[in-house]
This record gives sequence, C-alpha cells and structure tokens, in this order.
Amino acid sequence: MEKLQELINREREARELRRREADWNYINSLPPRIRVAIKLFIETGNLRLSQKISGLGLEEFVEHLRRANVWVT
Amino acid sequence: MTESLAEREREARELRRREADWNYINSLPPKLKTALMFYIETGDLYVAAKIAGLKVEEFNELRIRAKIPHVN
Amino acid sequence: MEAIADASFLIDWARFSLRDLLFRLFRVVWIPEDMLSEIQSESTLMWVAEHLASGDMSLFPTLPEYRDRALRLVELSRRGPTRGLDFPEAYCIAVAEDRGYVVLSENGAAYAAQFLYTTAKVWRAYEVLWELRSKGVVPDDVIFTYQGETKHKFPQGDLQKWRSYRS
Repeated sequence: MEKLQELINREREARELRRREADWNYINSLPPRIRVAIKLFIETGNLRLSQKISGLGLEEFVEHLRRANVWVT
Repeated sequence: MTESLAEREREARELRRREADWNYINSLPPKLKTALMFYIETGDLYVAAKIAGLKVEEFNELRIRAKIPHVN
Repeated sequence: MEAIADASFLIDWARFSLRDLLFRLFRVVWIPEDMLSEIQSESTLMWVAEHLASGDMSLFPTLPEYRDRALRLVELSRRGPTRGLDFPEAYCIAVAEDRGYVVLSENGAAYAAQFLYTTAKVWRAYEVLWELRSKGVVPDDVIFTYQGETKHKFPQGDLQKWRSYRS
C-alpha cells in the first residue's frame, strides 16, 4: 500500500514538474496536433498516447518535448 | 574450422565493401543508408531489412541498386 | 545479465557520450523487432546498427505468447490507480518476466509495474547509472552529465537519493 502511495505521489510530482517547467511560448507556437499532444503529455505523462495524437514518430515527438522543456520521467 | 569460417566472413565483408556504390549509398536517407552499411558489415539481410523498415525482398532490391554483392 | 530495451530508453540513452557502458552491465541488450521503426534519427540508428552488427544488441521477434501476456498486463494496469501500460512496454515486460531479462524503459507506467503486478525488473537510465557507479565505472557527477547531454531530467527525490549514496 505504501509503495502504491509512493508511486501515486511520484506521478503527481512529475506532472507538477512538467507543468512548471514547460516552455509555453514554444508549445503555443506549434501546429495544433503537436500542441494538443504535448499538453496531453504534460497532464497525463502518457508518452505513447500523446505521440499517436501528435501524428509524429516517437523520436520526433520526444525532440519536441525536449525543446519544450517537458521532461519524460 | 571456426577460423576458416571467420576468414570467409572477413573476405565476404571486404568484397561487399569494395564493390558497393558508395556514391549511391551516401545519397540515401539515414535509415536506408544505415541499413545498407549494416548489411555490408554483417551480410545479415533480415536484420538490415528491419533497420530499413522494408520487406526483405524490397531491401534486396535496394542492395542490388547499391551494387552490393550477395556473397555465399 | 541480459536486458530488453524499449524506445523510450534508447532514444535518450543513445545521446549519452558514455552510452557504450551499457554493455559493461549487459551481455546482450535485446530490441523488440517492431521497435526499430520508432528510431528515426541517424545517430541513434547508427549506434543501434553498430551494436546489432557486433552482437551486443539483438532483435527480439514478436511472438504470440508474449503478445497475449502483454495484452493481459495492459488490461491489469488499467484497473489500478497509476498510469496504464502501453503495449510496447508491456511486451518488453512480458518477455522479461519469462526470460529473466531486465527491462530498460523510461516509461513511468513500466517503472511502476514492477512494484504492482509483475516480477520483471524495470530499470530507467537512473538505475543503469547507479549500477555503473556502484561498480566504480563512472564518477558521482555522471548523473548531471547524463541530464545535460540527453536533456532528460531526473526527479528531485531521485537526485537526493543519488547524492546520499556512499560506496
């Protein structure tokens, strides 16, 4: 139970970190699909779902995340 | 026996390197270029096709266009 | 020790200047066949291809028994309060469970899975660097080098734990 709570806390902290450190100027400059996908990733941390929505390959999507200062954790 | 197999592998690799059309190979997109270079080094058609994202037959056609011999 | 790596791990790790140290820990790093198509950048692809050629890496085929198990893992993961697994990571975990490999993944759901519903071990770059440091292969500040080179950021809790390590 304790481990589960720790994992839930990690998820929450990771989401806060993503929200806080994101470069919103960069994100808002992107085409709609990629912008939506990055916002989804910020909120959920679900890399593959976000990548599919972006319509990009995984590596290309992760590159956008890097440029947007959004960390994959 | 192992030594002679290794020697055969080495000779095959050198032949593939020597005969390849490097101008053509270097003109290709990264995935295809990398796959052909992998094939030259190893002679492994199946894995090279996977790297290229092609079916084996398609990759084999690419190999032929790049003038890389299939060495038995 | 052998490992099976998913794309989320490889596309970051491949940017690390000491990336070949991975093969000091693992005799072979398996790569699911389907995952190759996810690697697009020339430098990552070249690195993978070189190690496939040398035998440090090897392709793991898509097999129905692991696909089935992966689907069950995805289903299981959707019932819990943490993030659900995606199929590619679930496939790596299914293989690792059966064959005793370590899963290499940066996916949070895969990391959580090892504490909740699988016996497979899941390592992130953090655990790989930790193991390398414990073997004396890399210095203490390697984690910051890794962050800088890959633009992969570690959570504060993990960095604190890293700093508190004493050999």
